[in-house]
Amino acid sequence: MLTVEQNEELTQVGPGTPMGELLRRYWYPIAFEQDFDKRPSKTVRLLGENWTLYKTPSGTYGIIGEACPHRRASLTYGIVHEDGIRCGYHGWKYDFDGQCVEQPAENDNSTFKDKIKAKAGQAQTMGGMVWVYVGPTPVPELPRFDVYVLDGIRDVGVATLPCNWLQIMENSVDPHHVEWLHGAYFEFLGQTQGFEAPKSFQKKHIKVAFDEFEYGIIKRRVLEGHGEENDDWAIGHPLVFPYGMRVGGQWIDQMQIRVPIDDTHTWKLFYTLHHPEGGTWEPQERPVVYDFEIYDEEGNFVTDYIEGQDAMAWVSQGEITDRTQEHLGRSDQGVALLRKMFKEAMSSVEDGEDPPGVVREKHDVIDLPCEKDKFGAGTAFTDQWINGGSMRYSPIREELLKLHRDAAAAREKADSGA
Amino acid sequence: MPDLPPDPYLLPPPGDWFASDAAHHLLDKPKFCPSCAASLDRGLISEWWSGHDRIFLTWCASCRWTGNVVLFDKAIIEEPEH
Repeated sequence: MLTVEQNEELTQVGPGTPMGELLRRYWYPIAFEQDFDKRPSKTVRLLGENWTLYKTPSGTYGIIGEACPHRRASLTYGIVHEDGIRCGYHGWKYDFDGQCVEQPAENDNSTFKDKIKAKAGQAQTMGGMVWVYVGPTPVPELPRFDVYVLDGIRDVGVATLPCNWLQIMENSVDPHHVEWLHGAYFEFLGQTQGFEAPKSFQKKHIKVAFDEFEYGIIKRRVLEGHGEENDDWAIGHPLVFPYGMRVGGQWIDQMQIRVPIDDTHTWKLFYTLHHPEGGTWEPQERPVVYDFEIYDEEGNFVTDYIEGQDAMAWVSQGEITDRTQEHLGRSDQGVALLRKMFKEAMSSVEDGEDPPGVVREKHDVIDLPCEKDKFGAGTAFTDQWINGGSMRYSPIREELLKLHRDAAAAREKADSGA
Repeated sequence: MPDLPPDPYLLPPPGDWFASDAAHHLLDKPKFCPSCAASLDRGLISEWWSGHDRIFLTWCASCRWTGNVVLFDKAIIEEPEH
């Protein structure tokens, strides 16, 4: 339970708010490269502000506040140049830093443009997505986490959820929900609706732990029948501060991304890399992107798959969950720890320090710890995850199932010495 | 119930189901850091429950101390199997 003030401070992401200032220290994926195949610019919303994201003819990306500082028309409907973007309304032109460099109708007053600087950020691509940074300089390095840069087949499930990003993040430090929401509740649905729910999510939690590390919090669990030597405890997997969670198993590696669009909307992505040992695949130019369903035709949550169950739990709390009405228990200590981490990070920003997870050193790849043998389910886990999770909506689902099954057979053959 | 702290503290509407818990949270949460004695107004206090115990995970913005402050009715010691 929190006070009203503390809840507001933790959930408001707009400019000038403590959390908004913290969140502006990080890079965010905000679009896919294919979004620019037909049009060179699009409007994106991030941290409570509208932006124009654009791609020049030679492939450089830029991001600028959407409203032209002249008369507030949308720059998304502007003319994209090699060195910036020009407003379609009166032709004011801005460079990548947002500096106004041309005002065609103001030629007799050449100094006017010097005082006009639009809000702007940095943009670059990685893993088929366009990433942006809209915070203060110096601009940090774009963290090249393993799933974005390693070789493999990628598919990405996306949806915009009508809730604050923090209640999704709190789910990432709540291990117990797995055995209930994805275990008992899934089994209940299976029994009442006539399908077989995946069993590996039903195991009882014996012990959980949370370790802070440089990129967030590592979550560990011991499940019934398992020990501390199992991957779920010995390796665990991390909440990636401040808006991600890295999960995986059996060479399906995933980053769950929660982009704070504004206080009450979150762009949710399941960015998944399939690279099974023993498997073979053709090089993939771009990730396959698909929508996953949240609501059915009657407006009810679709809860017969894992991420649909999660979305129900996140969204049904309301746009911003009222933490003055909650009752945390012993098993919610990870949630309290995460809130403390956010508050501590806000304080670091106020003190002029880098918060956790801001990367300043150049690097090729950042490997994150993540269990391989998830829930002790072995190779059965891949079928259960692909068929029982958001990947059931993936247009390449059958190919993915085959990729993993063939790879498992190849590994088995190699192990047997055949 | 004692008087609540003055503004700027806000409470959920009185009709809310757990308004009483929210009021008691406001009344009973630690006011000063157990380590450095600074005001916790800029800190963060998350309350959770364990049986009858009320536990305040407390973070101090002044000295960055983190720990649990426990309100309990009686001290109970769980004996491990022996």
